[in-house]
Amino acid sequence: MPVNRNNRRNKKKKEEEAKPKLKEKVTEILELPKEIVLNVPRLTLIGNGNLLIENYKGIIEYDDKRVRVNTGSGIIKIVGDRLVIKEITSEDIMIDGEIQAMEFIK
Amino acid sequence: MLLLRLWNYIRGYVIILVEGYFLEKFINICIHRQIFLWDIKKLKNSTMRLKVSISGFKMLRPVARKTRCRVRIVKKKGIPFTWNRYKRRKAFVIGAFAFVVIVYTLTSFIWAIEITGNKKIETEFLLQHLESMGIKPGILKYGISTDDITSKLMLDIKELAWTGVTVKGTKIKIEVAERKQPPELVEKNKPCDIVAAKDGVVKSMVVKTGQEAVKAGDTVTKGQVLISGAVPTKNEQINTRLVHAIGSVKARTWYEARHAVNTKVLDKERTGQQKDYYSLIFLTKRFGFKTDSTPYEECDRVEIVKKLSFGKDLELPLGIVIDRFYENRVTEREISLEEAKQAAMDEAYKEATRDIPEDAEIVNTDLNYVEDESGAVIANAVIECIEEIGVTKEIGGK
Repeated sequence: MPVNRNNRRNKKKKEEEAKPKLKEKVTEILELPKEIVLNVPRLTLIGNGNLLIENYKGIIEYDDKRVRVNTGSGIIKIVGDRLVIKEITSEDIMIDGEIQAMEFIK
Repeated sequence: MLLLRLWNYIRGYVIILVEGYFLEKFINICIHRQIFLWDIKKLKNSTMRLKVSISGFKMLRPVARKTRCRVRIVKKKGIPFTWNRYKRRKAFVIGAFAFVVIVYTLTSFIWAIEITGNKKIETEFLLQHLESMGIKPGILKYGISTDDITSKLMLDIKELAWTGVTVKGTKIKIEVAERKQPPELVEKNKPCDIVAAKDGVVKSMVVKTGQEAVKAGDTVTKGQVLISGAVPTKNEQINTRLVHAIGSVKARTWYEARHAVNTKVLDKERTGQQKDYYSLIFLTKRFGFKTDSTPYEECDRVEIVKKLSFGKDLELPLGIVIDRFYENRVTEREISLEEAKQAAMDEAYKEATRDIPEDAEIVNTDLNYVEDESGAVIANAVIECIEEIGVTKEIGGK
């Protein structure tokens, strides 16, 4: 029984792992916008001074030297100088300033 | 982006300072409640400055209480606030409103009439004609029918070949094209003579219908019958038969002009002294300086009209006129006889050629100098032409 249960759990795990892959494949085939279907952010960085994060979840920390934004693919940490939130709505956030580093924290 | 900023300015927004420890939470809640924030800037650890619309600001109070933040207005910007500030100043609002109304009413009148394209017809004549039709500076521009003006002008003034009327801003622009006057023709079935239009010596004639009254080589005077429409018949009861004379008569004609040779030339020179007189134009009237007396003995007068206008065509009936007088110094100068002769001859030649019709052929030009009784030299230009001088004239008519 325990073996059996283990087996079943393993199966389930495999299915869970397979599911996002399938979703990804479907979106790729149908050419759907990934950030909406997969609930991941879309980042647009212009030079090192203009960052637009679409499809974000919320901001965790805001300072003029460091910004942390929660998104579907983890927390994005932005380190820079004179950071300003130029615009913020429920879907996207635009950060202006001199961006020095970006990091994804799981 | 610019559009968004303009929109925000129109709607009005406030710049606020938010002080507290949970600023991120504050922002998140605001976003969650659909309060639009922009230009968020962290000042110190516990304060940030941001912009929010008026309607958003009203919804901010519960959020601030929840996150224990203090909100302070730094600046109010936008049209609603500006409007509020000026609403109390009644005179200002009235003035602004009156300005718009006055400009609008003033620009709904015609203040200038511009006539272009006329060469022989005088502008003054056309203006007078227009005035008799009721078109003059100071009338409302909305009642004007350009088609009416065009057709009336065309009907009344025979010399016009084409007229274009446009109302542009506070101006009426009238463009005209003049017609070359056709010679008065006698109808084909009416008997007529061919008479001389001017003096000359007949060179050749071609008679198609009628009886020739002169021969080649005859000297004719203006009005003399050249080809008669009265043809003698052999019938004894009726001596003559009246026909419509047709034919061409070419004659030598002379054009002469004289100009005295003068070795003394008056030179005008501006001394650099000038005087300005200002007067004001309002509507169609002129106020202020209005005199015909001149400040200098010898001077040129230049009238400079400066009118208040928006652009080129929207002219307001308000302006100033500067009468500028330039003082002249007149000096007498002696030039050589040759030079003077040449100048006089040029003048005489120009004068003589002025009357020559376009279709005349110039065959000989004679330039000479004569002395009159007092001994003065006169330049004499004689130009000999061959031209058609026959014109029809109704028998028994005028």
